[in-house]
Amino acid sequence: MIHPHDSAIVRTLGRIVIPVAQLFGFYVLVFGQHGPGGGFVGGVILAASMILAILIYGLDAHDSRLAKTVVHGDGLGLLIFAGVGGLCMIGGGQFLNYTHLEIPNLDEASQHYIGILLTQVGVAVDVAVTGVSIAISLSFEGADEPSDEASHG
Amino acid sequence: MSSQLPMLLFLVPFFAGVSMPILAARRPSICQPLTIGAVAVMVVLAIVNLRVVLNGGPIEYAIGGWAAPLGIAWLDDTIAATVVLTISAVALLSLIFGRVVVPARLERSISYHTLILLLIGGLVGLIFAADLFNVFVFLEVAALTGYALVGAQGGKASVFAFRYLLLGSFGATLYLLGVAHLYAATGTLNMADLATRLPQIVTSTAVAGGLIYIFLGLSIKMALVPLHSWLPDAYENAPEAVAPLLASTVTKVALVAWVRIEYSLIVPGLEVGHVPVLVLLEELGVIAALIGGALALIQTDLKRMFAYGGVSHIGLILIGVSLGNPTGFVGGMFYLINDAVMQAALFMIAGALVHYHGARSLDDLRDLGPRSPWLTGALIVVAVGMVGLPPTGGFFGKWNIILGALEAGHLVAAFTVVASTLLTLGYFVRIFACWFNRSAGAEAQPQPVAGSLRVSLGAISVSMIALGLMSDSIVRFLLESLAGGGV
Repeated sequence: MIHPHDSAIVRTLGRIVIPVAQLFGFYVLVFGQHGPGGGFVGGVILAASMILAILIYGLDAHDSRLAKTVVHGDGLGLLIFAGVGGLCMIGGGQFLNYTHLEIPNLDEASQHYIGILLTQVGVAVDVAVTGVSIAISLSFEGADEPSDEASHG
Repeated sequence: MSSQLPMLLFLVPFFAGVSMPILAARRPSICQPLTIGAVAVMVVLAIVNLRVVLNGGPIEYAIGGWAAPLGIAWLDDTIAATVVLTISAVALLSLIFGRVVVPARLERSISYHTLILLLIGGLVGLIFAADLFNVFVFLEVAALTGYALVGAQGGKASVFAFRYLLLGSFGATLYLLGVAHLYAATGTLNMADLATRLPQIVTSTAVAGGLIYIFLGLSIKMALVPLHSWLPDAYENAPEAVAPLLASTVTKVALVAWVRIEYSLIVPGLEVGHVPVLVLLEELGVIAALIGGALALIQTDLKRMFAYGGVSHIGLILIGVSLGNPTGFVGGMFYLINDAVMQAALFMIAGALVHYHGARSLDDLRDLGPRSPWLTGALIVVAVGMVGLPPTGGFFGKWNIILGALEAGHLVAAFTVVASTLLTLGYFVRIFACWFNRSAGAEAQPQPVAGSLRVSLGAISVSMIALGLMSDSIVRFLLESLAGGGV
């Protein structure tokens, strides 16, 4: 069980570090198109920022509401990933063949660019949600299956 | 559109599984209908897929449009299409059966149903994968969901699920190590590509070692004696509702993955250090068939008896596919299909006995009150199938394995099939001796069983006989696919 941290230094620094970490997570996700980075790493950084919020402010605090909300999104990332693949199939190509991702007024290279970016967003969402779910289920007794319990309630 | 069928077969359970947390968040009661509906759609797609493959030849699916050997390839050939149809049909019947015995806590659990759908999706991917690393990925998808399902009830089951996880992960590691060997030696992971590059170097230590690691890893997954110890405990303690699904699919599909590797990489007559590889595999199958059958004979718990029966049948199938001639190979694959159906039927009966009568062991059976004629009927049909009498499919599978063994001149293999039949007969005689015990009160009306149970038991009994009646055409199209260089 994790209790909120009552040190003023920790709480104040958290307010500074968490938004920066989240912004950096998005940057890494998008930068993955051009260099090192991508969905998995970006998702891990996003998850880390939300876990930090839980560690500092506790799970029930107003500041941790994002982390509490995202655990409901189990499977959303995979849906985005498979959905982009499915759109390619509807366009007449194979699964994840971005050439057949039908977006008007785009040349083939841009279609690949958009397609890969979208699947990476899916990966990032999935990794972030999984990371937060693991942290919550490991640290809070009596909430064995947070996603399940949350969705039942 | 028909060229998309393999991917659609995977995406249907996958989509249903990952959208479950969102769709069922406010209405947990739709979990079960959604799961059954998705698998029913799969069965329809699998039938269409089999027809397309039989009429139009194998479908090669290049994911992302990147053709093999550079990209990830799926191969949807006759054997894959047949096994996928078997898996989805058995899964549908198991889920219909599961409606009766599932505990209320699991019935409304989103994660439980997501795990079932991901397990089925993983198995489909594992059957289609034509790439060694892709096989590993789906092997792990199917295995991880399998561990979680075995332990879904908590309590004692968690211990056995954890042991299954340890052994299964060890197997996966060995498999991956073997893949790394082959990749280092050839620079490719695509099975068809490997098949063209390996023959020159197959006797090298690196490649032989890699194949041994792969076989050991998959042996744990398919519960080949002596690496079977996780299976009886795991399936005995798994929730009654998924035990038929797990018992009938997971080990068989791991064996299918091995059969694909064996068929494309190990040519008949291959010797590594004066050891004929196929004969070695066949002898391992002989050991598994005899020891598994003997262990089944001495069990007193019904589920453990059936689990060991499954272990012995894995050995029989391995004998068939390792004989090195088409007759034995097709016999093995046909027996695999039958065994999937029979294992599902056995665990349905065992699950229903626990649910309605609380009976787990042979002694419980002896003191059992009146029981439903549906259970008795299904037990008789499945016993005939397991022992291998016509007109059930079990007979034709064993018959072809024996013919193949005689064709290859391997009398030990032929003898083993007959001996395992006798062992199977032995443990079913023990069951029936308790089942038809006179002292049980015969006057009372049997307790009526739920409609879902009648549907699943009836359909699975019919399909066991139907497989026997259609065995001729099934064996013929499997043989034709071999002649066309399939698998």
